[in-house]
Order: sequence, then structure tokens, then C-alpha cells
Amino acid sequence: MGDRHAPKPAFIENPLQVVEYCRYCLMCRHVCPVGHVTHNETLTPHGWALMIASAQRNLLEWNPEAVDALYKCADCGLCRTHCATDQPLPTGIAGARAAVVEEGLAPESVMALKEALERWANPFQRATPESPIKTGEDAILVGDAAYFRTPQTLDAAMQLLAATGVEPIQLARGRNLGLLPSSLGLSELAAELASQTIEEIKSTGCRRLFLLTPGDIYTVTRLYPERLNLGLPDHLEVIDLAAYLERSQENGLLRFEKIRGEGPYAYHDPEHGARIKRNHSAPRKLLRSLFEAAREVSFFWREDRAHPTGVVGGLNWVQPDLARDLTEARLQEAIDAGARFLFTEDPLALEALRAQADGRIEVSGLYETMAAHLE
Amino acid sequence: MIVSSLQREMIFSELEDVVGADHVSTRQVDQLIYSTDWSWMPQMWLDRGLIPARADFIVHPGSVEEISELLKIANAYRLPIVPWGGGSGTQGGAIPTYGGIIIDLKRLNKILEVNEESLYVCAQAGINGTQLEWALNEKNLTLPHYPASANCATLGGYLAPRGSGTISTKYGKAEDLVMSMQVVLPDGRIIRTPGVPNHASGPDFMRIFLGSEGTFGIISEATMRIVPLPETRLFRAVLFKSIGDGIEAGRRMMVDRLEPLVIRMYDPSSTASLVKKVLGYELEGAYMIIGFDGWEEIAAAQEKRAMLICEALGAKDLGREPGERWWNHRYDFYYPPLGLHLPQMYGTIETVTTFSKLEDLYWAKKKAIESHFGEIGIRYIGHFSHWFPWGASLYDRFILEETPEDPKEALHLHNRIWTVAVRTSLENEGMINEHHGVGLKLSRYMRAQYGPAWHLLASIKEALDPNGIMNPGKVGFGVQSNG
Repeated sequence: MGDRHAPKPAFIENPLQVVEYCRYCLMCRHVCPVGHVTHNETLTPHGWALMIASAQRNLLEWNPEAVDALYKCADCGLCRTHCATDQPLPTGIAGARAAVVEEGLAPESVMALKEALERWANPFQRATPESPIKTGEDAILVGDAAYFRTPQTLDAAMQLLAATGVEPIQLARGRNLGLLPSSLGLSELAAELASQTIEEIKSTGCRRLFLLTPGDIYTVTRLYPERLNLGLPDHLEVIDLAAYLERSQENGLLRFEKIRGEGPYAYHDPEHGARIKRNHSAPRKLLRSLFEAAREVSFFWREDRAHPTGVVGGLNWVQPDLARDLTEARLQEAIDAGARFLFTEDPLALEALRAQADGRIEVSGLYETMAAHLE
Repeated sequence: MIVSSLQREMIFSELEDVVGADHVSTRQVDQLIYSTDWSWMPQMWLDRGLIPARADFIVHPGSVEEISELLKIANAYRLPIVPWGGGSGTQGGAIPTYGGIIIDLKRLNKILEVNEESLYVCAQAGINGTQLEWALNEKNLTLPHYPASANCATLGGYLAPRGSGTISTKYGKAEDLVMSMQVVLPDGRIIRTPGVPNHASGPDFMRIFLGSEGTFGIISEATMRIVPLPETRLFRAVLFKSIGDGIEAGRRMMVDRLEPLVIRMYDPSSTASLVKKVLGYELEGAYMIIGFDGWEEIAAAQEKRAMLICEALGAKDLGREPGERWWNHRYDFYYPPLGLHLPQMYGTIETVTTFSKLEDLYWAKKKAIESHFGEIGIRYIGHFSHWFPWGASLYDRFILEETPEDPKEALHLHNRIWTVAVRTSLENEGMINEHHGVGLKLSRYMRAQYGPAWHLLASIKEALDPNGIMNPGKVGFGVQSNG
């Protein structure tokens, strides 16, 4: 099930204009993860939209307090996912941040990230490897997080794909795909990184592109055209790795040794899953196929209302306290539900959850666990 | 309200001692965002480059005890208190008109008990409506109060203005679903109303807080009746040639005790505009949705009876799809650009009366609005919803596309239109409001609404809040004590 036939979103030329419909609308308040942990009216979709609209009407200066509030949106997309009229508010917020960057008013942490991304093409300040000059039918987008932070996720994904007879070319190794700079208002940088990725995809001539996370799918299929006016090659099929693996498991291409006993376990829907209308059942079916009898417990904030950890929208870089609160909320949800094990597949979320779990719950990668139990 | 920077810091320090530094704000950006609720007046004000009102402090208490302490501080300094839930009121009830302290209740968002035997939920007042509903749905239960504002309103906000929801025709208004409440009185005392709503142990003082909109105290917790999710929900739409026939059909369904979940009839103007825009149907006449829920065979039998009534009154059966489509998109009407939004001028001048006066009230208001303001292009639309065994609400609105650029001029015009609408409601024995509350917008009509009985409400206010700190300027009460 690829994304080849999904309608390509239109480029939003004037992102600041989109806040006009949202500035007095409160109808997505209930899903905003930041509003949920801060309890502050300002830090909700309506609050951000009204701030931006007010700045345009000279009612608000972008002073450090206002800029700080502007940079607390997680760019998770839940507001838009739950909007009956599909208002692209996150793009409006990114646009306002771009204006703040241009005026030289962005937080220092944003400017430090800009420097790192310009120099290293990733925020981890690590050298990206040379791109392999290869051509082939199948490719996988690696990005920076899996490459530098959780290479075991990438290794597991490659192992699982190999078991299904697919050996994709690895693309964008160590390079940020552009979501982080776009969220932070570094739009030119986002466009540059995105262009490099698109060129690399084109150079392979691949027809199927596997993606490790919903965040990556969102980036290439929605963010590129809508925020950056860039597009993937028309012939390309974009494939959610979890959905592909679930189909492979159904078709008997993947078999697992059962994990005995243990449990209960919970699954954290990865960041941005709701905004791409993900097949939420695929990763859950994969987990059920791994466990012999362990009980599955659910998050309240799941599937199309899933709240993110603090690794979205660059919060972990720019708003570490808020990021910690969001990650803690996810851990606490799992613990309160009675889970002993927590699974997810987004590399950065995995890293953040593991770092904060502190022995309270065992956090594991979905793909790593599957690979470890391949028959 | 605060006279000096020194005094401001003194008070800030006291507030900080109560709730902690992270939960008190004097930030300019927060003052801006909390300067408007969902009402037209402050939004228009902001749109024209003016700040409607600024709270001096925005405070986020984490417990009922903290609310109590905050009210004691406010009394000591004679500082206005404005309780804030979701800010989803459409009458300006949460605007900090005189500055002071906004108490945002959203940290008080816990579900304290779900009792599946006696069917009630007890929760803190700051919980979001949809989040509460989702939590109940996980247990196959529902709080049958479905206001269009559920996504943004809080439980306390359901009760403070006596709100109605989409299915109130069967399950009642929020005030009919509440069993008991915890309230912080203006002097800081914390009280609880009895655990059951029906008894004969003296007057029902819980009711004085329903509709008080924070002028008598702050609702901090509420116990609400809940019900199991129904086995089925059936929807159907019919088209009436005249609203008179539609009103009569609704009346018969109510007096025959068919227990409809929903009866909603759009007048021909809304059918031609709103219904077309949101649902895509091009119809001439009055589009009515009828819904039933519960056990399949009972709901089907009720629906059959209702359809016989509609048929006898000449309605055209549009079938199930236009009813179900309405149900699935019932909140879409409120999302911009489908819903009303600036730069339009608009007001929901809704009212309620008995069946015998309902149609006359509709025509009188339509005539009054269109004759007074027709030449400036005003539109009057309405629908009939929230039916009772004795009458129904008329949810009517005025809409003006071209509005004066000058904000004061625009506000004055808005007030003039409201005055014509409210006077016409009163002259035709309608109430000044059915479920949006009084807030700031209708405050000035409260004496006309109640006549000599206003003295009773004013006396209660005087007794409970002698310093007049609680949400001043709202529900007819002024800054200081009222008489």
C-alpha cells in the first residue's frame, strides 16, 4: 500500500495567511499535546494562531517571551488532522517562525541548530558519509536519526527486508530529511536538504521507497510539496515499512519465534502517524504475531489522536523541559495502563523514551525485536 | 485594576506562594490570548487592532485548596476574578473586563470516579469535554451532553452557563445531568452540594450556581449522570413546506413522549444557505433531522411513529442518508470557513419559549431584524433545536457581511441589533437566552428579563460576594455590590 496515488498537496505560498481561520477557532484544542501538558491557553493551536495574527496587526511584538511561546508548538499535525476543514495551521506556524528567523529574533538554540545543519546536514554534528552511486528498484530513506542515534533500528529494518527478498539502496544516510529545519522556520535550509534527498532518490532510479517512520512519510509526501514546493518523482511508490512487513508476515514471508510469557505490553504510535492517516493496525498486528500470550494494553492517546514524545518539532533541541514533559506523559501512560514493555519504531522517540524510562518500563524497538526473533 | 508596580509585585508574590511561579503569568503574550473568548465583540476588537481587556494575572491552580487561597487574596485586594475553562463562551463571559485575575481551571482535569453501578462520573471542572467523553467511551459509556463546543469547553464550562448539547431533547441540558458539585465560594470556603439531586431536604442550592457563570463562586468538581452507549442511533431527514408544520410535528413527537434524541429543523433560509454549504443538499423548505437511540427495536418503533406524524403534516421523507450525514458532520457547521467568522458581524440571539408561542416568536424576530436592518443587508436565519415537553429553543442568528470599519461604530451597531432581537424575544414571551448564557453581552438585559424578581438574584449576589469580585460585569452584576 503505497502513497503513489495520494493527491499531492498544493504549495502554500503565503503561510501566514492560513492563521486567519484558526485565530478564533477552538475546535482542535482537545487533541493538542502541548496544551494538554501545559494547560495554557496560549500554548494551543488557537493561541499560536492568534499570536501570529496579532503580530501582523501590530498588537504583539516578537519579544523573547512571545518567541518562546511560538517555539512551543510541536508541529505534530494533530490540530490539522482533527480539523473538519483541513486548515494547515502547522504550516502557518512554521511560516511565522521563518519570519522570526529572518528578523533575527529566533532563539539562540534555533540558530545553533541552523549552523549545525548547514555544516553537517544533521543536528548531531557528525559527518555524513558519501552517498553510494547505485541504481536499483528499491531504496530506503535512512536519514540522520537512525544513522547516528539508533543504527540498530536501521540494521533490523534491513534484516527484515532481506528476509522478504528486498535489499534496498540506503539513501540520505546521516542527512536530515528537512522536517526539523522546516518546523523551526529554517525553510531555505529545509528546502536544500530536501532537494539533496530528492536528487539522490532520482539518481537511483528506484520505483519503491521504503520509509522507517510515519514522520519520514509525512516529510516526503506532504511537507515537501506543501511547504517547500518540491515533489518526489511521479512514478515512485512510498511504502510504510511497518505496513509492508505486516503484509509480508500475513503472506508467510516473515516468521517469528514467539516471545513467551511476559507482558503486558503497550505500543506508542510514532510521531506524525495521524497526519498521514497511517494504517495503525499494521504495527499492532506485528506485535501480536510476536507474542505468544502477552496482553496488549492501549494508550489513551493512540492512533489518530496519538500524542507524541518530545522529539517532534525540534522541541528536544529548543524546548527541552517541554520535550521532557511530553516524553514523560507517554511513559506514564504506558505505566498507568499496566505495561511492562513499551514498543515503538521511531528512532528518536525510542531514544528519548529509553533515556527517560529509568528502569520503570522496558522500552524496545519494534523492528529490533522483530529482527531478533526472525525464524 | 492594579494601581502601582509595587502593588502588582506584592500580589504576584502572594499568588506565586499559592500556586508556584510556573503557574502565574503576567506575560504580555498570555494577557493577549486570554483577552478574548469565542464571542464576537472582543474578537472584532482585536481584529481592528485594539486589546479588549487584559487580566493582570493569569493563574493556573492545581487544586481546589489553591483556588480557595486565590479567592482569599482577591478579596483582600478587591481584585476581580474571572474563572476560565475553555474560553468557548460566545457571550463574553470569560473576558477580564476589569482586569484582575483569570483563574484558568485546566490543570484540574482529572476523572475522580466512574461509577458503573449508579451510572455517574465525577471529574474535576477543568477537564476537556471531548477528553472526558473519550475516556467514558473506552468503558462503553457516554455523558449525553454533546455541545458543539465539546472539543474546547470544560466540564465546569458546561454547567456555569447552563449549556445544551445536540442530544438534549432526550437527555436534557447539562443542568439536568448534574448530580452534585463542589464549589469554591467567593470568600474561599469550599462547599459540596448533596450527593443526589432529587430530595426534599430543603431548597436545592446547587441550582443557584448553575447559570451563575462564575459570579457566585467557582465550580471545581462535578458529578454527572452517564449512560451506556446506545445499541443503535437512527437518523432520518424530512422536508417541511412550512416551519409551522415542522413545529407542530416536533410538538407532537414531544407530547406523545416518543423520546427523540434529536429534532432539529432548519428554517428555509438556513436550509438554503448553511445546509447547502456544509452538507451539500439543495433543498427548498425546512430541513428537519429526527434521531432516536437505544435498543434497536424500540428506536425503530419510535422512529416509525415520528414518521407517521411527519407524513400526516405533509413532510417529504428524505431518507436516512441526509440524517446520518448531518449527525456525522454536525460540528462542521462551526469550523471556519464553514462557520461564521470575522470580518462578518454576527450574533446568536437564541431564545426559548412554549410551543404555543414558538412560531410567532420566530416570525416576530425575523420581521424585527429584517425591517430594522434590512437596508444594511442583514440576514436572519434560525433553526429549532433543544426540544422540551412544553416548547423548544429557537436558535436564531443575524449575519452581516459588510460591517463598519470603525470598531466603536461596529460595536454600537452590534448592540443595536441585539437590543432589537432581545426586546422582541421578551415581548413575545421568549427568554433572553436558552443555552449560551448571559455573559457580558446580555448582562444589561437581566433586569428586563426578571423584573422585580431581579432583586432576589441581586440579594444572593450581595450575600455571597459582598466585594463584587466574582466575574464583574457579567450576568447583570456590576463591579461592586448590587442592589
